[in-house]
Amino acid sequence: MTEFKKIEENLKTEATRLLKEGLVTVVLAYGKGFDENHPMPYAAKTIADVENIVFNEYCNYNMARYLVRYPQGTKIAIAVKAADSRAVIQLIQEEKVKRENLVILGIPVQGMKNPKTGEIIDSKTTCGMYNPVLYDLLLGEEVHGAKSASPYDVLAEYEKMDKEARWEFWKKEFDKCIRCYACRKACPMCYCDPCFIDQSKPKWADKAPQSPGNMMYHLTRFHHLAGRCIDCGECSRACPVDIPLYLFHKKVAKECEEMFNQAAGMSIEDKPVLVDFRVEDSDKILE
Amino acid sequence: MSFEPKILGIACNWCTYTGADLAGTTRLKYPQNLRVVRVMCSSRINPSFIFRAFQLGADGVLVGGCHPGDCHYNTGNLYARRRLATTKKILEFAGFEPGRLRVEWISASEGNKFAEVVAEFTAQIRNLGPQAKLKIQE
Ligand code: SF4
Ligand code: SF4
Ligand code: FES
Repeated sequence: MTEFKKIEENLKTEATRLLKEGLVTVVLAYGKGFDENHPMPYAAKTIADVENIVFNEYCNYNMARYLVRYPQGTKIAIAVKAADSRAVIQLIQEEKVKRENLVILGIPVQGMKNPKTGEIIDSKTTCGMYNPVLYDLLLGEEVHGAKSASPYDVLAEYEKMDKEARWEFWKKEFDKCIRCYACRKACPMCYCDPCFIDQSKPKWADKAPQSPGNMMYHLTRFHHLAGRCIDCGECSRACPVDIPLYLFHKKVAKECEEMFNQAAGMSIEDKPVLVDFRVEDSDKILE
Repeated sequence: MSFEPKILGIACNWCTYTGADLAGTTRLKYPQNLRVVRVMCSSRINPSFIFRAFQLGADGVLVGGCHPGDCHYNTGNLYARRRLATTKKILEFAGFEPGRLRVEWISASEGNKFAEVVAEFTAQIRNLGPQAKLKIQE
């Protein structure tokens, strides 16, 4: 099992060293919240800040979300779990951050929990990997031999539904949406300014939290994340009305992998699949 | 009243739109259910155009572009192919009929193919019936 306390110590040691040596101006990690189960995203900028850093099984936030907030060129250290490291890779592919400006502190971890439900989230609502894909330093023991489930296993019961049932299911879910945009705020890949849904010329959809606008927001958002979503599951955990957005994102990711033979955020050499093509792509995908 | 499908066509300027013109000048008959919007290239098509068309009451959307390899901008339709395939998958997983969106490569000289595709697609949409899922109800 993952030794959370050990990782927290290592995180503090590395953060102190990096800040003291002036190698980075900020360390993106986790800080104390109002209780144990609710740590917060935390940016340590001084050595004094470091003591506030925590790490436990509720540190779900994908800190890659905060990378784009700093001007290009800022030297940043970032703590990443497996899915988070994929988000960093994806942001590098999209030229939002440069590899050389980052110190990536990898955290291999097993047994992360959803603070709302207490349930283990490893492959259900997240990508099912335990070890970061890209890192400079590893802050804990690599996870070996853990039962690896496909991140797409949870889709099985939804893939069995027929078309009408799927429509009913999603319509009901999207009708619950209150358009707080917490999903967008939590997502490392949602960095557009302005977001299409906030534009008024053209106005793509109604801003009121009603059926048609909700539908437009979500369908378009799924499209904008196609081939880019790295399956961290943060959108679903951020949602106050528990819409299982992760199911839709996983399904789109699965289809993209099948069509284009590439998963999001696995290599900084890749190009995002929708800003790329192969001459030999088949017209079959259009059927 | 019998159902007359409303179909939005989005055609690229250099191939499909010119092909549609050719169908017209050669006096080919095809169903009048299609209303065509011209764009410079199939890659100009934002997937939201398609979602929005369905919301505004289209029963079907037909996208036309140059054959792969023939795009006026060389590679526009190769990007469009990936993007529109994704659009279709998203509609499908949401429980919408993916058959209401169709993508066809029709060159400037294929007036015949244009007329055939429109006829076939119109028949298919007629079969599917009125599109009510995404359409905004007044
Ligand atoms: S869409 Fe959700 S699961 Fe995907 S990267 Fe964004 S927050 Fe993570
Ligand atoms: S977080 Fe949930 S309620 Fe808020 S906009 Fe996203 S889906 Fe809607
Ligand atoms: S110009 Fe016809 S598809 Fe690009």
